[in-house]
Amino acid sequence: MDSSDRRLLVRNIVIEVLLYSMLVVAYFALVLRLLAEPLKKLFDSHLVLYAFAALALIVVQGAVLESITSFLLDRLRLERLE
Amino acid sequence: MYFPISDVTVSPIFLAGVGFVVGLLGGFFGVGGGFLAGPMMFLVGVPMNFVVGTDLAHMTGKSIVAARRHRALGHVDIKLGLLMVIGTLPGIELGARIIEGLESSGNIDLVVGLAYVIILLVIGTFTGWESLRAMQMVRTERTSAQDALAFQSVTRRVHRFRVPPIISLRESGIEEISLWLVVGVSFLTGLLAGVLGVGGGFIRMPMLIYLIGVPTHVAVGTDLFEVVISAGYGTVTHALKGNVDILMALVIHTGAAIGAQIGATLTRFFAGPRIRLLFSILPFIGALFVILRLLGVMKGY
Repeated sequence: MDSSDRRLLVRNIVIEVLLYSMLVVAYFALVLRLLAEPLKKLFDSHLVLYAFAALALIVVQGAVLESITSFLLDRLRLERLE
Repeated sequence: MYFPISDVTVSPIFLAGVGFVVGLLGGFFGVGGGFLAGPMMFLVGVPMNFVVGTDLAHMTGKSIVAARRHRALGHVDIKLGLLMVIGTLPGIELGARIIEGLESSGNIDLVVGLAYVIILLVIGTFTGWESLRAMQMVRTERTSAQDALAFQSVTRRVHRFRVPPIISLRESGIEEISLWLVVGVSFLTGLLAGVLGVGGGFIRMPMLIYLIGVPTHVAVGTDLFEVVISAGYGTVTHALKGNVDILMALVIHTGAAIGAQIGATLTRFFAGPRIRLLFSILPFIGALFVILRLLGVMKGY
C-alpha cells in the first residue's frame, strides 16, 4: 500500500468516525431517552414481548447503522474501509 | 446515565468506548470480543447475569453485517453452520440454566468469574505459544503449508472417531466426518457461550480448524454465521430470564460498529503472527480485570 492510499484510508477513517460520532450523540439524546421507559415497563410486565423486542432492536440497529453509513459514504463518494 | 432495566448507573460514553475497543479488536483479530467486554462491564458494577445476556445481545447486532459480507464472498458453509446449531442451542440453553441456578444460589459472581479467568488464561497461553511458534517457523524459512500439515495430523486423529451417521461437508472440503463430532464441538461452544456470555468464536474457531478440519477462511465465515444464530438465540433465552439490558446493548453496539470497521482496515498494516502475538495479551488483561473485581480491589471504580 503506497502513501497516497494510506492518506486516503486515514481520511476515510476520520470522516467515518466523525459521522458515527454525530449519529451516536443524536442517538443518546433522542432514541435512548424515548426507549428507556417503555422498555422498562415491557421488561417488568411482559418478559416474552421484551425478549423478542430486544432481539428486533439490536438486529434493526445493526442494519440501520450499516445502511446509514453506506448511504453517507456513497453521498460523500468515499470508498468503503474494508 | 441510569439504566433502569439492570438498575445501574454507567456512563454511556464508557459503554460506547467499550464497544469501540471491542469492535476494534474484533475487526483486527477476527473475534467477537465478548471475553473483553464482559470483564469491562463487570468491572464497572454491572451485575454478572446482565453482563452475560447484554454481551450476547450486542454481539448479535455486530455479527449480522460481517456474516452477510462473508456469505457474499462464499466463505460460509451453510450446512456445517446449520448442523452446528443442533449442538449450539441446547448448549446455550444449558448454560443459561446454569447461570439462573447460580444466580438463585448466590454464587454466580464467584463461579462465572473463576471460569472466565481459567478460560482466558488458557486462550492467552495457547495463542501466545502458537504465534511464537509461527514466528519461529518464518525465521527458519518453513512455509505456512508445513504448518498446516503439522496440524492436519491432529485433525486426522480426531477424524478416526467414526460413529454413524457419517456426513460430508463439501463447502469445507471434508468428505467424511461423524455428525456427533460436529454436534459435540458445537455443544461445548454453546455451553461456554451460555455460561460466559461470549459468542464462543475464540473457542469455536480453533476447534473448526484443528478438530473438524475446516479451511481457515471458511471457518471465519461459518463461525460468524454461527455467532449470529447462537448469540441471537442466547439474547432471547437470557432476555426471557431477565438477564438482558437491551438499552445497554444498544449503546455498546454504537461504538462496536465503528470500531469493527477501523479494526478491519488496520489489519492491512500488520502481519499474521504478530497480530496473534498481540492478541495473546488481551485475554490476560481480561483475566486481570475479573481477578481485581473478584478481590474487591476495583469495586468502587
